Formats: sequence, structure tokens, C-alpha cells
Amino acid sequence: MNNQKIRWTIFASLFAVIVVSYIITLKWRIPTSPSVQKSYDLIESLPPSSMVIVSFDHEASSLPEIQPISYIILRHLFSRNQRVIGMSLFAEGTAIGYQTLNKLAAEYGKKYGEDYVFLGFKPQHISAILGMGESIRQVFPQDYLGNYLAEIPLMSGVENYRQIAAVISLADGDRTVQWIEYTGKKHGLTILGGFTAAMITTYDPYLSSGQLYSAVGGIVGAAEYEGILGLPGKANRALLSQTAAHIFIVLLVIAGNIAYFKRRKGGK
Amino acid sequence: MSSRIPLIVCLVAGLIMFLQYFSAHPVARAMFNQVNDWWQIIFAFTLFVGVAAFMNNSMRAIRRGKERPFKTVSLLALISMPLLAIIGGTKIGSPFLWTFDNLQAPMQATVFSLLAFFVASASFRGFRARNLQATILLVAALIVLLGRMPIMAYLSDTIPELTYWIQDYPSMAARRAILIGIGLGSMTTALRVILGLERTYLRGQ
Repeated sequence: MNNQKIRWTIFASLFAVIVVSYIITLKWRIPTSPSVQKSYDLIESLPPSSMVIVSFDHEASSLPEIQPISYIILRHLFSRNQRVIGMSLFAEGTAIGYQTLNKLAAEYGKKYGEDYVFLGFKPQHISAILGMGESIRQVFPQDYLGNYLAEIPLMSGVENYRQIAAVISLADGDRTVQWIEYTGKKHGLTILGGFTAAMITTYDPYLSSGQLYSAVGGIVGAAEYEGILGLPGKANRALLSQTAAHIFIVLLVIAGNIAYFKRRKGGK
Repeated sequence: MSSRIPLIVCLVAGLIMFLQYFSAHPVARAMFNQVNDWWQIIFAFTLFVGVAAFMNNSMRAIRRGKERPFKTVSLLALISMPLLAIIGGTKIGSPFLWTFDNLQAPMQATVFSLLAFFVASASFRGFRARNLQATILLVAALIVLLGRMPIMAYLSDTIPELTYWIQDYPSMAARRAILIGIGLGSMTTALRVILGLERTYLRGQ
């Protein structure tokens, strides 16, 4: 088989593996990792009506992986009657964050301006993160809809990070690092992360040092969280197809090496 | 003299911004807020410069007939999204959000998901135990890949434990070394810029 044929066979097989495994509905109850459990415990331990910033620091490209994480975390926050301040440090995260917050808030009958608010996007993330430590209103004088923060009931009494119980950064890159570096120690903020699986190891040093309180990583992390809450959703649904794709890749690596050693033995 | 003025500005600004970090005095806080505002404004203007440069390059390419359909589509997208937001707003149900949800988000997710196919193809054709180093990398990658699968928790304790060991020790050590190196490098560069030893921003004068 020539290279082109091999490549197309692999592409078609992977496509078939993903589609077939996605069609099969299997409700998994997977063991919870310590980091996901820690995220859950923190939200559980917050007194009702605590202020939590949820920052949508990701692009649309990672939406299939980040959305299950944002959905389950917001469901948990709203079910515990926490107050949510949404924002984004990525232009694309703005539309995603606004719609996600509205959708999930509606599920729990939450009112905009009283139970949650969406501040929108600010360019230059480091400056925005630092500025919010001084005054949130100075960085975001108006919310996403153009309402002045001074006129929003939820924001009355919220001046800076001193009134914030935790920051949850949902990121597909290293944006959370800036939250950790510029707010963690300086303002004593508790920072939680929701990351794509590819990014989770980047945050391992911050997790082990305690600078990042906890993290929910990828589809597996979201499925674990769904398991604790007893709300199987998008992540649980995608778990089988992701596992099937991983097994397929492991088999490809093995097959590739067998072929390589056979060729080498044959002197080619 | 012309190069001394920016060096003095850089030294004074650098020292003031460094010192204000440790002060809670209202003057220091007000100054920080002011500088922070300037930072945001300057950054916002750089976005305009980026958009203008992109439009200029695209228009030139269209005139030359180079990649005309692609450049036209990207230009139209660049113009139409802000226009839709200005005309129809950005609330739920607006044409802007409809376009974002039904065009931009699926297209970006599609391009990103193609990575899975390239990874699969590369894992067959490129990921081979050619020598000792490659073999160690290959074995470690396979263990981590298997150990991260939720199904593995039901089959074996050893592989998930090995996965955590690889992540917590060799991988963590390497990452920490890189992070500490970046931190020390950033501090050194910042000091060199503040003290005027690093002058590449002055075209090396």
C-alpha cells in the first residue's frame, strides 16, 4: 500500500471509529480524580450568594471540549445559588460566555443583573487582570449589554477582588497562568481552572505548588464532574468516542512499529 | 542625546512601576490605574493597526489576483462581523450571534478537530522506536495515553499509577526547570531594559 492509501485508510478508519462509538449511548460512572473532587468540594463549601468570576478564556475552536466543562461548573454554581460574574479575556470567548451563561442561568431560573452578569471582553488581558484588582468598574465601566455597573444590583458592593470568592478560568491556552501570576498571591484569590486535555499538563507545576487550587481537565474531567453531580451530559456522551479514538491511536502506534521492525529485519 | 531621552524615560518608568507594586499609598494606586488605562488604550490602537494592515495586504492581493476568492471571503468576514454587531446588536437572537454560532464556531471547531486525523496518521508513520531515546519517549507516551483513559481504571491499577508517576516526577521536573528558566530570563531582560543595557528597541543604538 502506498503512503497516500495508508493515510486515507487511517483517516477513514478513525472517522468510522469516532462516529460508531458516538452513536452508542453508554452512561459511565468513572472514578473521580483528586483535582476534580477538589473543584467540586470548593464550590460546595462556598457560602450561598458568594461572588465567583467565570472567565471564558478560550476560542471557538476548543468549544466541543471546553463547553461540557463550563456547563457542568455553571450548573453546580447556579444550583448552589452562587452569584456569577462572567467575562472573557479572548474576543471569541465573549459571544460564547454570554450565551452559555444565559442558557444555564435560564435552566435554574436565575435573573440577569441579580444572580449573574456578563461583563464582556477587555483587550490586553494582563492589564485587565491587574486593573480589576484595583477596581472592577474602572476596567469594565459597563457590562456586555451596555448597562453601567453602578446600576446593576449584583455589582453593588463589588469593588475589586476582595469581594470575590474564587475565579474560574476556562482556558484552551495559557491565559490562566496570568490569573495565577497576577492575582493568586497578590490578592489571595482562589483560582480554579477548566482546561482542554492538551493543556492540563502545562498547569501541573501550578497545581502541585498550590498556586492553582484545582483543575477540571478535558472531556474526562468534565465527565467526572458530571458523575459527582449525577448529571450525565455532553462529556459523558463523548467519553466513549474519545476512548475509542485513543485506543485506535495506540493500535496505530503498535502497528506502525511492527511494520517498521519487519522492514528493518528485511533489510529495506 | 536622541537615544538618551528614551533610555531615561524607560529607567524612570521601569523603576516607578517596580516600586509602586509594593506600595498601597493612594498616589501609587492612582498612578498605577492611570498607566493601566494608557496600556489598554495603546493596545486597543494596535488592534486598529492590525486590522488596517490586514485589509491593506488583502486588497493588494485581490488586485494582483493572488488567492482572490480566499482574500475576498476573509475581507468580507472582517467587515461584516462588526457591521452586524453595530446594526443588529450582540444580544441573543442577533444576526451577529447567529453568524458566530452557525459559521465561525463550527468552522473553527472543524479545523481544530482535523488535528485528530493528523495525529492518527503521524502516530502510525512517525512514532517509531528507532533508538533508545525514541523508545523511552514512545513507551512513556503509550503509558500516559493508556493511563488517561477512563476505561483503564477498571482494568489495571499499575498503568494509571505509572501515568501519575511520569506526570508528577520526570515531566514535572522538566516543566519546572523550563518555568524557572523563563522566570529568571524575564527578570534579567527586564533589568537589562530598565538599566539601558538592552537597547534593541532603539534599533540597537
